[in-house]
Amino acid sequence: MRTDIGFEIHEQLNTATKLYCDCPTDYRNAKPNTNICEVCVGIPGAKPFPVNQVAIDSVIEIALMLNCEIVREPIYIQRKHYDYPDLPSGYQRTSLPIGKNGNLLGVGIWEVHLEEDPGKYDPTSGKVDYNRSGVPLVEIVTAPDLHTPEEARNFLKELTKVLSYTGKVRSEGGTMRMDTNISIEGGARVEIKNINSIKGAYRALKFEITRQKNLMKKGRAVKRETRAFLEAQMITKTMRVKEEAEDYRYIPDPDLPPLLISQEKIAKIREIMPEAPHLKLERFMKQYEIGRDDAWAITSEIEMADSFEEVCKSMPEIDPKYIASFFRHLIKKKLNYDNISFRESGLTSEDIKTIISKLNSKEITSSGAELAIRGVIEEKKPASVIINEKGLTRIEEEDVVVKAIEEAIKENPQAVSDYLGGKTEALNYIVGQVMKKTRGRADPAEVLKALKARLK
Amino acid sequence: MGGINAVQRTSTYLEKVEEKDPEINSFIEINPKAIKEAKQVDEGKRKGRLAGLVVGVKSNINVKGLRATCASKTLENYISPYDATVIERVKAEGGVIIGMTNMDEFACGSSGETSYFGETNNPAALGRIPGGSSSGSAAAVAAGFCDVALGSDTGGSIRNPSSHCGVVGLKPTYGLVPRYGLIDLAMSLDQIGPISRDVYTLALMLEVIAGYNPKEATTLKVSKKEYSKHLNSDISGYKIGVAKEFEKVTDPRIMKIIKKSLKVLESRGAEIKEIFLPNLEKGLPTYYLCVFVEFFSATRKFDGRRYGYRIEEVCGKEVLRRILLGKYISQKEYSGKYYKRALQFRSLIKEELLKALEGVDVIVGPTVPKLPHKLGTEIEDPLVMYGYDLLTVPANLAGIPAGVIKSGEVGGVPVGLQIQAKPLDEQKILNVMFALENS
Repeated sequence: MRTDIGFEIHEQLNTATKLYCDCPTDYRNAKPNTNICEVCVGIPGAKPFPVNQVAIDSVIEIALMLNCEIVREPIYIQRKHYDYPDLPSGYQRTSLPIGKNGNLLGVGIWEVHLEEDPGKYDPTSGKVDYNRSGVPLVEIVTAPDLHTPEEARNFLKELTKVLSYTGKVRSEGGTMRMDTNISIEGGARVEIKNINSIKGAYRALKFEITRQKNLMKKGRAVKRETRAFLEAQMITKTMRVKEEAEDYRYIPDPDLPPLLISQEKIAKIREIMPEAPHLKLERFMKQYEIGRDDAWAITSEIEMADSFEEVCKSMPEIDPKYIASFFRHLIKKKLNYDNISFRESGLTSEDIKTIISKLNSKEITSSGAELAIRGVIEEKKPASVIINEKGLTRIEEEDVVVKAIEEAIKENPQAVSDYLGGKTEALNYIVGQVMKKTRGRADPAEVLKALKARLK
Repeated sequence: MGGINAVQRTSTYLEKVEEKDPEINSFIEINPKAIKEAKQVDEGKRKGRLAGLVVGVKSNINVKGLRATCASKTLENYISPYDATVIERVKAEGGVIIGMTNMDEFACGSSGETSYFGETNNPAALGRIPGGSSSGSAAAVAAGFCDVALGSDTGGSIRNPSSHCGVVGLKPTYGLVPRYGLIDLAMSLDQIGPISRDVYTLALMLEVIAGYNPKEATTLKVSKKEYSKHLNSDISGYKIGVAKEFEKVTDPRIMKIIKKSLKVLESRGAEIKEIFLPNLEKGLPTYYLCVFVEFFSATRKFDGRRYGYRIEEVCGKEVLRRILLGKYISQKEYSGKYYKRALQFRSLIKEELLKALEGVDVIVGPTVPKLPHKLGTEIEDPLVMYGYDLLTVPANLAGIPAGVIKSGEVGGVPVGLQIQAKPLDEQKILNVMFALENS
């Protein structure tokens, strides 16, 4: 049965001030109701300031990154009316499309537009914090071009990557909110609201497809309705059926003249906007002759991709394949393990160049390189300092290594007899023990060779 | 205003208010700091073009520390936490705010009778309505309770009561005066403007409050003008447009008075030209559809969570009517039929007016097509009430400036002459008013 899935995705824009006033956009760390003014609290008589230009430019850039056409006709800001405690004026301002007819990974992007976030209502205490009220959002509406929860998840991951490449969305994470719609052949279209993560979207879709297919199996109709995703229970639940559809009574906001986007503005943004991640990946594979997996790992973050290119450029004597492998196996692995981004790690291209050049000249071993990366990230010091301080330079004196090998053999008779009994992998364990004793400064390949000779 | 003793002036007004306002009911609240503010003027701590002038403010304009009730129970206890931009400007020029004036509830009315705080009497024709919705502002000026007042005009709310009370009033070009701090009736039509007893003070107040506000998306980026300095009663060579359509819809007794003033203008060298406004009468339905929809939107914040009362639960009949009609016609299934058509007609009326103004300097005619009714007369049909606005709404729909000055009287009831001009041609309007004032 054919299944069609589409999304409406909201992400907060990374602006210093709110959309229609000068209040700071910090609503996470600031005390409740401190970053507010008459405008974002909707005090009677207050009027919106002219629309935040940084926010408009950000939406244009995101739309361009998603291959959208930018609308050249006047773009009205609409008032969307509904009644909720977090909405100080009883309406939310939302622009008509700024970008239209785009695509990403073959998924159509119907429109990209600008919105404002409402405040935050806590139903338990009945209190509203307006610090978030007026924070700018970009909304991206896709065509129903996705067909499975897995496809949806991949698409959302790629979209997140594109948004983070622009640097125009908030980077602290957890700010993405989305609605999804799903229709299975033979049933009506169902909308699911209240999804706050990619994982949530995946789970909601999984649940919903099973629910709808079960209904169909029993010969019951899938109704057109809006459902809410309950994250904790991982289920969806009816919010309202079609007959109760809300009427938002949209009107163009009389307080705001329509936006007009010039050709010059579009050209200017096009000039400075980054290369899209999937294009960068293709280019890296071609230009540096590296594999897809390496290119994928490196382009997962624009800062890492930029660093890779810088290192390649300033070390022409080193094979880019080697550098790519270093990024993927030494850096990316460590980042994944710590669950941090390249930017958060504090690693610089200088650090990476130092480590690669010492590795290349055999001054340090690959284990030493790993320890150096860890040291830079954890102690926030340059790689050259870490290597010196930790004494990570490769051990040249053979007797030190020989001594370590002898100790390791003596201390691990079980592993030795396992190896001698035919379990070759037991030798790796002994190598590890030797590396530990030398604090990574011995060359593991040399150690292996020596061990093999010793235990013959 | 050198030589004026502000404290003396303010206390004289305050005494008059205390003595006579119980009959007029033009103020909702008196500024307890008025004397203190006047004292600062006398001590030279507050200076400027309005130094010592006593100003009344319509109750839909925010003045920090005073109540902006909009004459509604909905905002009965709403104390403004900030100054509207016009108030900042008035204060910066040394104006002394005497208090908040009465008005039709949420500016929804043309008679001054719908205030939660009671109707306002017409000081120039006691027992009759003062007009509205800036009823208290016009009445306070007419009664001599202040030098000048601020009103707001969405479809005639400055001009209509100025006409009935025999004072001068002006609705500026849309976007000339900041609306920041004005509580909305219909955002695309609302403008703040002055009401006074003489043209000079009117021009002075206009130049103080007019001008670009970078923190507001709909104000115009125009340089400041000194209207009072450039007042000139020599209007020889002015081309004055008069439309036949005015006569068709106006009480002949009023037309007779207006025609006399036209003769005066002609005698001062102005040239009368006939213009055509075939869509004049379409203005009214167009205007009301726009107002209903925008007012519905504007009142959504009065949901009972922040300001004490949910507007629908405590407001008067007319306010409720407008909210419900706005809610009805802005439904998804009707919006194309009503609101969008209204916007189309609005463009048509604007084009017609601007085209008519191409060949003339100003358009002159009556302000209100009928005489103000007597207080206490029950007007059940809202369309009869809306009829008062027939000649004033086109200026709002087109965004053009329009002023009103007393033309004469019909049986002791003042009749105001309306002067409309091209956008930003306030000076010409003021000059025509100045010419009439000096003849």
